[in-house]
Amino acid sequence: MIRLENVHKKLGGRTILDGLDLEVKQGETLVILGRSGTGKSVTLRHIVGLMTADQGRVEVLGQEISARHQAALLEIRSRIGYLFQDGALLNWLSIADNVGLPLRERHSMKEKEIQERVEEVLSEIELDGHGDKMPSEISGGMRKRAGLARALIGHPEILLHDEPTSGLDPISSSIINGLIQKLHGTGITQVVVTHDMRSAFEVADRIALLHAGKVIALGNSHEIQESSDPAVQQFIHGLVEGPLGRETSEQLEPDQPDKEESGLS
Amino acid sequence: MVEKLGVFIGRYIAPLLSFLRRSADSTGFGLVLLVRTMLNTPFLFSRRRIRDSLDLCYSYCIGSFLVTSVVALFTGMILALNGGNSLEELGQESLIGPIVAVSMIREMGPFMTALILTASLGSGIAAEIGTMKISEEIDALRIMSIPPIRFLVLPRMVALTLVTPVMTIFAAFIGILGGSLVANSQFDVGWLAYRTDALESLEFRDVFTGMLKSVVFGITIATVGCTQGLLTRGGATGVGQAARRSVVVSFLLVIILGYYISWSFLS
Ligand SMILES: Nc1ncnc2c1ncn2[C@@H]1O[C@H](COP(=O)(O)OP(=O)(O)OP(=O)(O)O)[C@@H](O)[C@H]1O
Ligand SMILES: [Mg+2]
Repeated sequence: MIRLENVHKKLGGRTILDGLDLEVKQGETLVILGRSGTGKSVTLRHIVGLMTADQGRVEVLGQEISARHQAALLEIRSRIGYLFQDGALLNWLSIADNVGLPLRERHSMKEKEIQERVEEVLSEIELDGHGDKMPSEISGGMRKRAGLARALIGHPEILLHDEPTSGLDPISSSIINGLIQKLHGTGITQVVVTHDMRSAFEVADRIALLHAGKVIALGNSHEIQESSDPAVQQFIHGLVEGPLGRETSEQLEPDQPDKEESGLS
Repeated sequence: MVEKLGVFIGRYIAPLLSFLRRSADSTGFGLVLLVRTMLNTPFLFSRRRIRDSLDLCYSYCIGSFLVTSVVALFTGMILALNGGNSLEELGQESLIGPIVAVSMIREMGPFMTALILTASLGSGIAAEIGTMKISEEIDALRIMSIPPIRFLVLPRMVALTLVTPVMTIFAAFIGILGGSLVANSQFDVGWLAYRTDALESLEFRDVFTGMLKSVVFGITIATVGCTQGLLTRGGATGVGQAARRSVVVSFLLVIILGYYISWSFLS
């Protein structure tokens, strides 16, 4: 379904991904864990072609993702849903219009059908009745769910979540976890990036721990919890001392212009 | 010695080089953006894009209407006052109207309107798109296969290309009106005489130059605003910088392009 082979990526002069290998199987929910700045979001961006690998190969739904295949990229993206950290809703459109946006812009669907489909997904993620509100009028958790609704509206085969529960209270987190599990039941392939250990163990079929641009541990919830690897133990128990080190590698170079990110295509 | 040189380069030369590189990069980006937006104009002919553009036109007009009126009124008054003072000595008060009219329609109107729109709308576009960039909304659009050029840049470009000439004509009109107030109250030029003199002095070439300038300025302001917005990075500070850069760059381009358009029509 998704395969990353030996992916290398440098950003702002720093190596972020350093020979990353990762495979996501059809219908599974893979959780990616890792410290801040290890390149989890960068990994997701490679899967949808928002970034392309300096070296190595990214294959999604049987197609290679690369800058050369723009038409294929558009086709692949229409089969992927991406849930951004804060929902990434357009603030001048209502929730319903945000959710319906992909259908209105991409398809020649009738307005009535679009509205029906919007109602349907909104009730799927338990946001019915909030369609007329503006993004600024609802809570962070609801914005994330609205983002999820927008990602789901085109019946994607793959769903990527970037920190679906960060910044949410435990109850809202549980609602989101429940949704991820419900989607798992429908056979959709999911990749979930999270810092929330409880959520990770709850939703994951498999868990990958990312460090220094590589996957350093991979296994199901049980294997990861019982792992004797000190790095894994340090991470899941949040120990200050251990092989992963104390400081994150987070460090931004504000003056680096980055062409790839400037959003032309 | 070598160490000192290193420190000097690090402190003064490196930032300069990075500034130059960034300027070159954003110039290139801006030109590519402009060309690609133009190539995308066929996509304007959909109900949704036309509606977006007209909505923007309306809000841009509302947003710049008041300040343009005030500035244009006083510009016209200043022109009449200065011109009148010199012309009075020569007994040529009847030339006040033509001077105000020609300079408002050909030079001051387009220039002044462009500066106002740069400050009020161009910076707003940069900040708006910049905010969308840092909150990943632009990425979200790309993933939904909604090209930001079609969805965001094109309507803004169209709206500013239409609004700038309209506001320029409006500013020229208000400016000529302001001139008449001064001509009438300070230099005893009759309303009717002022109007006739002003209108008769206008040649097609002046109006055409003014309109051409305002269209070019509108495209410039929109391109610069969108470019700086799309190149935004680094959180809220980045959005502030994008807005500031868009104003500075547009100011420079407006004044330079304005000169060359005038020059090409005079020679
Ligand atoms: N466009 C970019 N240009 C330069 N550097 C970047 C860019 N995007 C990300 N980085 C850098 O890459 C590193 C990894 O970023 P990424 O967003 O993938 O981290 P993450 O693992 O998702 O962390 P977090 O848990 O904090 O979200 C960071 O250090 C970041 O500074
Ligand atoms: Mg991240």
